[in-house]
Amino acid sequence: MVDGAVSVTTAGLSELGKTTEIDTETLYNLLRQPHDFLLLDVRNEDEFQLWRIEGTYTPETLHIPYFLFLEDEATAVARVAAQTPAGRPVVVVCAKGGASDYVAERLRGHNIAAANLMGGMVEWGDFYAVQPMVERPDYQVYQVDRVARGCVSWIFISQGEAAIVDPLRYGRRYLDFLSGKQAQLKLILDTHAHADHISTGPELAQATGAAYYLHPYDAIHPFDMVPAQMAYHMLTDGQRFRLGALTIETVHTPGHTLGQVNFVVTAPDGEAFCCTGDNLFIESFGRPDLGGQGERWAPIVYDTIFGIMKTRVPQHAWILPGHYASPHEANAEGIYTKRLHDLWRENRSLHFADKPSFVRYVLGHLPYMPPQYVEIKRVNIGLSHPDVDTADELELGKNICALAG
Amino acid sequence: MSVDLSTLTVTRELDVTGLKCPMPLVKARQEIASLAIGDVLKVISTDRGSVKDFQGWAKAATQVELVGQSEESVDGKTLYIHFIRRLR
Repeated sequence: MVDGAVSVTTAGLSELGKTTEIDTETLYNLLRQPHDFLLLDVRNEDEFQLWRIEGTYTPETLHIPYFLFLEDEATAVARVAAQTPAGRPVVVVCAKGGASDYVAERLRGHNIAAANLMGGMVEWGDFYAVQPMVERPDYQVYQVDRVARGCVSWIFISQGEAAIVDPLRYGRRYLDFLSGKQAQLKLILDTHAHADHISTGPELAQATGAAYYLHPYDAIHPFDMVPAQMAYHMLTDGQRFRLGALTIETVHTPGHTLGQVNFVVTAPDGEAFCCTGDNLFIESFGRPDLGGQGERWAPIVYDTIFGIMKTRVPQHAWILPGHYASPHEANAEGIYTKRLHDLWRENRSLHFADKPSFVRYVLGHLPYMPPQYVEIKRVNIGLSHPDVDTADELELGKNICALAG
Repeated sequence: MSVDLSTLTVTRELDVTGLKCPMPLVKARQEIASLAIGDVLKVISTDRGSVKDFQGWAKAATQVELVGQSEESVDGKTLYIHFIRRLR
């Protein structure tokens, strides 16, 4: 992550035909506009089915495992050639960038303009795009988008002080960004103990001395019933923080987890922002079953969404969610946000006649729960300390925190 | 897999420890071509991804069979071991 926002360039495609490798930022920029290239994924079938590259504009994607290029190169190359008329360029992708490099080289030997995605899906999964949402003299709001997984965190800066809400796994990137903005990290706020990704919150607190906050109900593992083994400050409903000219209020919004909170940030210009974590998303809302008690927690989700979010959060607030399922949920600038009063109308998963029909629908549409989510929660409350490779594997794939359908 | 790997007669061993994808498979493929039909090659790798790759390869390739796979821990490193037989 560079200092400041990722620049959106349009030069990508013409370079693509000439280069032998591209990095994840270049790929990200290619996917933000309609570009005519072929994505060739050379991973195993099950890896491809689980998780693949998507963008605002996802190009045609061809899947041919790399070992088919070893077994019968002529046939595999012919399949690629059939999709690449008139010098259409190819980006080759694998898990870590090794097999795709091999395949790209073979394709170039057959006069196909193929470039390797360096670092493969591992690097793609770790790419963060940082964009400004608001940049005023007295305060700024930045979106940190982990594009391959649909995870979003938010940075607020005011008068040299910074807060991060739902920091993702790599704390160093936030610190580099903040030092570029000459802002000092003051608050690290997790809306809840995450199940789908590893939070750098406790680590950042240790490294910087900034305070890390979590609601105590989430500082106990919902399956193991073992308390957290890490340092944290307890969040309480109604708790307020000052960050320069901004006020941050904690609102307890249980349901996705029992200790989930939202942060309502009020700015001097009258604007308000609500970091919803896994409560409200732009197109859906957070599933109630990741703690193993969907039937008990689904009614709580209803009370939070249709009670607390209607009474405790300013209706003009910009909803800043923790996830999205599709890049199409972003606005024209690429920011995942909507005002709450618009969300009631435009989020089609919020249209229910009453609580029983809501609960019935939710329990009938629970998506698959990845088994590693139980372990990730252990990591996030200090009960488990995976090495880098294991952490990479735990975080593989897109988040599945929203309700389906 | 139900084959007892400890009693399997291994014709040759191929050490690809330290090599990353796609090299374990590239080397194994070269090596098995030099074996006789029916012979078994034992491939020792440190690349975790090779487990799925050898499964996928054996399914797609007509000339090899994946007889079995195992894991061993040696000096804090995990070894991923593949037994492949040349079929034709």
